Amino acid sequence: MLYLFGIIAFVAAGSMLFLRQPMRVALALITTMVMLGGIYGLLGVHFIAAFQVLIYVGAVMVFMVYVIMLLELREAGADRRFSRWRIPGLTMFVLLAAALGVGTWRGAAPAVAAGAAGAFSMTGFSSAFLTRYWLEFELTSVFLVAAIVAALAVIRTSRRANG
Amino acid sequence: MMPDIVMALIFITYSLVVLLSFGGLLTWVERKQAAVMSDRIGANRAYIRIPFTNIKLVWLGLFHGMADGLKMLLKENFKPTTHDAVGYFLAPFVVFAPVLLVFAVIPFGGAIDPGLLFPSLAAWFGGRIYTLQIAHLDAGLLIVFAFSGLTIIGAMLAGWSSENKFSLLGGLRAGSQMISYELVMGLTVMGLILLYGTVDLDAIVRQQSGIVLGVLPRWGIVLQPFAAILFLTAAIAENKRIPFDLPEAESELVAGYYTEYSAMKMGLFMFAEFIQIAIVGALFTTLFLGGYNLPFMGDTGFQFPGGHAIVLGHGTVLLLQIAGFLAKVMLMCVIQIQVRWSLPRFRYDQMLGLAWKLLLPLSLVNLCATAVIAWLVQGGRP
Repeated sequence: MLYLFGIIAFVAAGSMLFLRQPMRVALALITTMVMLGGIYGLLGVHFIAAFQVLIYVGAVMVFMVYVIMLLELREAGADRRFSRWRIPGLTMFVLLAAALGVGTWRGAAPAVAAGAAGAFSMTGFSSAFLTRYWLEFELTSVFLVAAIVAALAVIRTSRRANG
Repeated sequence: MMPDIVMALIFITYSLVVLLSFGGLLTWVERKQAAVMSDRIGANRAYIRIPFTNIKLVWLGLFHGMADGLKMLLKENFKPTTHDAVGYFLAPFVVFAPVLLVFAVIPFGGAIDPGLLFPSLAAWFGGRIYTLQIAHLDAGLLIVFAFSGLTIIGAMLAGWSSENKFSLLGGLRAGSQMISYELVMGLTVMGLILLYGTVDLDAIVRQQSGIVLGVLPRWGIVLQPFAAILFLTAAIAENKRIPFDLPEAESELVAGYYTEYSAMKMGLFMFAEFIQIAIVGALFTTLFLGGYNLPFMGDTGFQFPGGHAIVLGHGTVLLLQIAGFLAKVMLMCVIQIQVRWSLPRFRYDQMLGLAWKLLLPLSLVNLCATAVIAWLVQGGRP
């Protein structure tokens, strides 16, 4: 089951690189996210699985699909299929895969036992969230605000340029 | 291992049968209620004739569901010429599958001890006790919301891939409506999570078995009456039913995001809507009506406040719990259908205004009030 989810996630992630229509790329990304959620669920961390689907599919991907719908993007532009960065990109991918392969083969990283996560408690999570991880949480919101301001600035500039 | 698989298969079969029959039954209930409330004749034509006789079995029009199903299966599967094949094919399933999956985490009865129920099989089961729930997950409530998020994508995909301006508008409207009301739904439930301290649906139901103020059952609706009303409103809107059926309102959009769907594909959308009514009923029952708990009933029988007690067997208690759960779900379904035939439709801007300007602030106020009261009741300790 784990391998099945893994293979589907991998195929979907790979097809994202080759599909041309934006909506199909979004669908492939959704498939990958849901399969990752399934893998987390099988590993026994249901809470992470729920959040994976809830945040990435339920929120992020819904907005992406919404934007694709609003812009009525049916086809990608008629430019070349692969970008000119394909050779450096592929080299980096091969190097990364080799490093991961060698690392796994040597057993450098200690294997994490499946289902090792303790029982999830809402109270524990909430207090950890508001005491230990509050800085990360607040920083994320600052980033989001910065992104919104940047987007507004870009829209303003392009509107002014268009008259 | 083997007993676990057998029990899981039994639970899955039970849930599927219940959900699918609810889906079929509710179409009939809706027709009948429409007939009664708008004073017309309805759902009494389809019949089965007993062969070689002239006896026709009408049975209050219960065969209409069967006739509908047959009609959808035999109709031409029409497709628009310009549609996007992948999205068009996938959308009905993306809408339908998550709706069925939600029921997996909803507990529909108390703990069952098969060894006690069937003494001859006691050795095989080896003293195992099962909760009547397909998947006992510690993040149950979150998973319900996660699956609801998937349904939104299905509706939007259906609208987009039909390559039709009306469908596209319908899909956009469905998307924004469902996102708005899901937010309200999430916030109303937060108050309950605060009180019960868990998102495990089985634990939430078990905590509702007690008594509060001496006589009232400790149900969610007693502790959070305001949240219950907000939740039901948001859930009906999330399900896109009248008075919130703007994505498919006949006056402007004919059938919204599934205009271009025919035969069984359209049937899947309709069926998903009816099953969703049952799911909303089940969720409301689980969160606010004590789930399978009956007032004053525990695992061994009834315990009334005056000290009276009625002792019941394990099997009887289980049957009462399952029947009680189904009765509550049915009650909630009838209420939802009654709302449909009682209220006129909103305008689209009014509907979004209701979500963002009224329900969202109210649910936030409810959450804050719950937090303050819970803090005061606990003596100011965090």
